[in-house]
Amino acid sequence: MKVLFFGRLRELIGVAEETGELPEEMTLAQVFERYAKRHPKLAEFRNSMVVSRNQEFAAWDTRIAEGDEIAFLPPVSGG
Amino acid sequence: MPAIIEEDKLELVREAIETASLMRHVRGEQDGAIVAFDGFVRNQSHGRMTRYLEYEAYEPMALGKMKEIATYIHERYRIHCVAIVHRLGHLEIGETSVFIAVSAPHRGAAFEACRYAIDTLKKTVPIWKKEYFADGAVWADGELPPTPPSAKSAS
Repeated sequence: MKVLFFGRLRELIGVAEETGELPEEMTLAQVFERYAKRHPKLAEFRNSMVVSRNQEFAAWDTRIAEGDEIAFLPPVSGG
Repeated sequence: MPAIIEEDKLELVREAIETASLMRHVRGEQDGAIVAFDGFVRNQSHGRMTRYLEYEAYEPMALGKMKEIATYIHERYRIHCVAIVHRLGHLEIGETSVFIAVSAPHRGAAFEACRYAIDTLKKTVPIWKKEYFADGAVWADGELPPTPPSAKSAS
């Protein structure tokens, strides 16, 4: 399992990427909660971010599976 | 007609975007028009003078979303070829950050497809911009991409 952070979320967490094992029955929202416990300021951004699973935008109640690539994404500002 | 034609050019680059060469790239003998969008770095933001910008991307996903845009405009509009190139890293004032060129037999399709491509890129492609000022830096406000409502309703 790979978890990626971008933009202001990456700055807040202090790393761009973490690899590790997470229980498979977890939802993406629960994965986020785990990080928010470690980095309380992260919780402030919960309503101004989206999440992707395997490079597709995903609903927060999506369940994760082994080998997933999960990314937490702030509002996009390309262009 | 294939969803993405071979000549489409979808790239993330770290050096200056060669806009003239992209214009030549999309131009075909069957075409009558090219519409291009050149997005470049302006010198101020919300009343503050900008010094420079830094762009970052979730690169494989950003390329995937750029391909989705190209696929959609080929299906939706009568166009020939599209180039979508976004630059990452450090950009100075006046430098091109994104360039889109669409060729078509007739101008209407090229205008509409180019407009759709830049508007959708700004909403769905995971790229982020940090603005550096004399007295600090901020992440640009940006837009939240639309997401599926709930996994429970998905198959």
